[in-house]
Amino acid sequence: MKKVVLIIVILFLPFNLQAQTEAETIVKNAFDYWRGQASVSTAVMTIHRHDWERRMTLKAWTRGESDSLFVIIEPAKDKGNGTLKAGKGMWMYNPKVNRVIKLPPSMMSQGWQGSDFSNNDLAKTDSLIRDYVHTLEEIRQDQGKKLYQIKSLPKPDAPVIWGMIKLTIRGDNILLKEEFFDEDFKSVKVMTAWDIQMTGNKLFPMKWKMQKTDAQDEYTQFVYEEIEFKKSLSNRIFTRTNLKNPGL
Amino acid sequence: MSVELKMAWRNIWRNSRRTLLTIAAIAFASMLLVFMLSFQLGCYETMINTSVKISTGHLQVQAKGYLEDKKMRLVIKDPDQVASVLETIDGIDSYTFRANGFSLVSSDKRTYGVVVTGIDPEREAAVSTIKSLIRKGRYLNADDTYAVLIGEHLSRNLKVDIDDELTILGQGRDGSIAAAVLTVTGIFDSGLDEFDRNIILMGLAGFQEVFSMGKSVHEAIIMADSLRDVAMVKQEIQNHFSTAGDDTKLAVPDWMEIMPGLLQGIQMDLFSGIMMYIILIVVVAFSIFNTFLMAIFERTREFGVMMAIGTTPSRITKLVMFESICMTLVGILLGILGGSLITLYFQKYGISIAGTEDIFKEYGIPDRLYPRLSLISSTAGPLVVFLITFVSSVFPALKIRKLKPVDAMKTV
Amino acid sequence: MYVILAWRNIWRNPRRTFVILMAVIIGVWSMIFLGALMRGMEREMLKNAISTLTGSIQIHHRDYLDDPVVNNSLDNIGRLDTALDKILGQDSLWAKRVRVNAVVSNARHSGGVTLVGIEPEKEKAVSFIGKAVTQGRYLVKEDKNKILVGRAFLKKFNTKIGNKLIFMSQGTDNEIASKAFRIVGVFRAESEAVEKRFAFVPLPQAAGMLKMGNSISEISILLPELDISGKKEALVAKKLVAAIDDKTINVETWQDLLPMMKAYLEMSGFFLYIWYFVVFVAMGFGIVNTTLMAIFERMREFGLMKALGMRPVQIIIGVITESFFLLVLGISLGTGFGFLSVAAIARNGIDLSALAAGAEMWGIPRKLYPEIWAQDVVVAGLVVLVLGIFVSLYPAVKAARFTPTQAMTKN
Repeated sequence: MKKVVLIIVILFLPFNLQAQTEAETIVKNAFDYWRGQASVSTAVMTIHRHDWERRMTLKAWTRGESDSLFVIIEPAKDKGNGTLKAGKGMWMYNPKVNRVIKLPPSMMSQGWQGSDFSNNDLAKTDSLIRDYVHTLEEIRQDQGKKLYQIKSLPKPDAPVIWGMIKLTIRGDNILLKEEFFDEDFKSVKVMTAWDIQMTGNKLFPMKWKMQKTDAQDEYTQFVYEEIEFKKSLSNRIFTRTNLKNPGL
Repeated sequence: MSVELKMAWRNIWRNSRRTLLTIAAIAFASMLLVFMLSFQLGCYETMINTSVKISTGHLQVQAKGYLEDKKMRLVIKDPDQVASVLETIDGIDSYTFRANGFSLVSSDKRTYGVVVTGIDPEREAAVSTIKSLIRKGRYLNADDTYAVLIGEHLSRNLKVDIDDELTILGQGRDGSIAAAVLTVTGIFDSGLDEFDRNIILMGLAGFQEVFSMGKSVHEAIIMADSLRDVAMVKQEIQNHFSTAGDDTKLAVPDWMEIMPGLLQGIQMDLFSGIMMYIILIVVVAFSIFNTFLMAIFERTREFGVMMAIGTTPSRITKLVMFESICMTLVGILLGILGGSLITLYFQKYGISIAGTEDIFKEYGIPDRLYPRLSLISSTAGPLVVFLITFVSSVFPALKIRKLKPVDAMKTV
Repeated sequence: MYVILAWRNIWRNPRRTFVILMAVIIGVWSMIFLGALMRGMEREMLKNAISTLTGSIQIHHRDYLDDPVVNNSLDNIGRLDTALDKILGQDSLWAKRVRVNAVVSNARHSGGVTLVGIEPEKEKAVSFIGKAVTQGRYLVKEDKNKILVGRAFLKKFNTKIGNKLIFMSQGTDNEIASKAFRIVGVFRAESEAVEKRFAFVPLPQAAGMLKMGNSISEISILLPELDISGKKEALVAKKLVAAIDDKTINVETWQDLLPMMKAYLEMSGFFLYIWYFVVFVAMGFGIVNTTLMAIFERMREFGLMKALGMRPVQIIIGVITESFFLLVLGISLGTGFGFLSVAAIARNGIDLSALAAGAEMWGIPRKLYPEIWAQDVVVAGLVVLVLGIFVSLYPAVKAARFTPTQAMTKN
């Protein structure tokens, strides 16, 4: 009897609710794929503006959606500068002054290292899961792979500045595109990922780009030189002591 | 027409004592008006100059858009070029360069967000009053790279004193981390909370190094010779840079655009000042009216005689009016002359108000106030007096019409 | 004897007397009127400043004014409530606030503001915000995540009613606290700076976001009367300090909070009296003039008196006594007119909103209610009387010098 009721309930679920649950699953899977495990990587970040460009090489450790450590290894004058996110807080370290400083609210909306990723973007990577309601808009086919187009609207009280986010996720859980819209639904910036390669035992986009929609020559590009996925990383890595001395 | 005029003139000097008294009254009143208005305007000028000297200057040169949004990247790429332009312009008293960056400043105990401003110590001393606001320690020298001046408020909040160290962490012009350890060399007190709490000053050269500025700066601060020269200087600078033709994209905002609140405050004060001035004019005009009235009354007998020998009332009226005009004109001219001379004297030497010197000195306000003579201040009051006198001479003139010769001649 | 003579003399030639009287009356009237306008203006300015959140008196944690962070909060609310109830009368109003510096962002803009958590109903009576909302609506107690921002702020952030703003600040747990609020109303203030600086939300929402529990940042008190000299407020503040009896809590009056305003008001009074002097000078010359003219016309009269045996000093005293009467009469009438004219206006105030467009730019208070200060009346009267007698000396001396011969040869 119970089974019959369950089947009937499921069959008669309003379509959008179904679509919502399906979208949520897709997003969660993509997110887990991207940040679920731990990773250690080396990447080159290029910040491009219309009259200058800056390039730096970083080493990055991430664990799950909440912990991350980024340390600059090149150029020499910035070497040792690092940003740690652990638990709820975010800290910065600068070897020249040899100080670990906790980021206050006033720095959160500023670009990390001057890039188009804000400190907040880094701090709240799991915001996408926590603060949004996702709806599957359409499913396309591209080069034999399924492409999910998802519309994410912020929950009513969520402290997020965006009015809407649109995601393009591939059938095999790879996030290809994340577009950020303001409350009037005009596009503000777009993140795209491409150059998907096999790393270890996993397919992963090696090139990422965050681009301002209104300024084509303002973007930040992230190119992984190498990335290794692990089951987990030691707690010791995500501490302030390690931030000061990450044993590069 | 000219008969009445000639008669009027002769009449005036017939009773020279009365005439001189009247002219003296008018002259004195005009002098007073000229001086008071010059003094008020001079005070405003002092207020404005004092306020802009604290940090904004009379006008500034900046990258376009910097005024609205102080982005690190909006720089003046070639300050030397700007300097060479400024050198050629008359009317500029002094100028200096500054650069700004928002940073976190930390002491052992606390961390705050502040604006770090790099200044050129020598040039800055000629342009702003910051040097005189140092209460403890000392001002910056030209070779101080990592020395910093902080406000009294901030020093208390950070719990630091002279020779303590502060760390600053911010973003350089190219987005890289700007970090440095600075030593507190001096503590200032400007009386303005906002300033004392949120701004720290270091040497420009040091700033440029720490914030990866190269030789660029954010602002050129300019003090003109006087408030009146600001518009002219602004125009000249703009001309220079528009003909330069390159894409330097510089803006030249003046103090009114940088500190709209100051203009508002002045305007409010000006309003009450104008009210006072109007009342003064009323009293003065009345005073003169009185004088004329008295004169007319005292001449009742004379008018009676004139009417008896056949002068029409309207002719007497005309006569009296011409007399008024002549006396008023002479009085006003003398008044403007005298008023201007007195004003110019004090314009040179200043007036100090007892009891205010101490407070003023503390905050860099000059303790002497200087009236400022201008076309407006020297003519506005007297002109109104002339008008009012003219209008008010109508009343006695009307009185004349009603005179009966016989009664008039009986007056003692 | 002099008195009777002087009095009769004045009324012998009413026209002459009238003219001189007029000068004095106008002069005194203008002093009273101007004084009333100035004091009215001072009061308006002070009222304005106070209603922009300052209040008559404020209570904070002792370190809050130097360092307005959440850690410097008032915890002992119960004790404060008791003290306030005890000391403040029925007509005083007070409101609690949470006030912190925060960073506000939306999708395209970011900046610093002061976030003010208010008790909507109580706050209405205590500061400007209750009447300042021009678009949308004011806050109500039940509002959850609604916010009021200034018009200049709305423009700067390029947003509108109904849109959200994300606030970030530091909570008591030293972690970054963030919260989304939706704009429900827009307020106008006397200056754009105020419009850009403050954002208002319901107090419990702000306290919750910052994990403050029952603590608050400040209490703002509005006393029923505003004392421009600040003395009444200082008295109440002293009583409050005694009643609260807690060294970690400070009580400040508006004079402590707005030292610039305090200095301005003190100087304002000083400058008013300088103007009185100036007005007298303007008036005084007229008095001397007309009196002199009168004296010369009375040359025959004085010559005659001398011929009849009056001594010069007696003539001087006589003239001075006449002046004295004229001055007293003029001062009384002038003061009377002053009172009347002020009373006529005081009921409705001078409405400057006719100049509103200009006033907007000029920051002038909208309505001006002239008020007469007893000390101004006394000063005006004394100045005119004393100086008036002083300047009458010259004509008096001149009168005493007329020789009978001069007098009789006058035409």
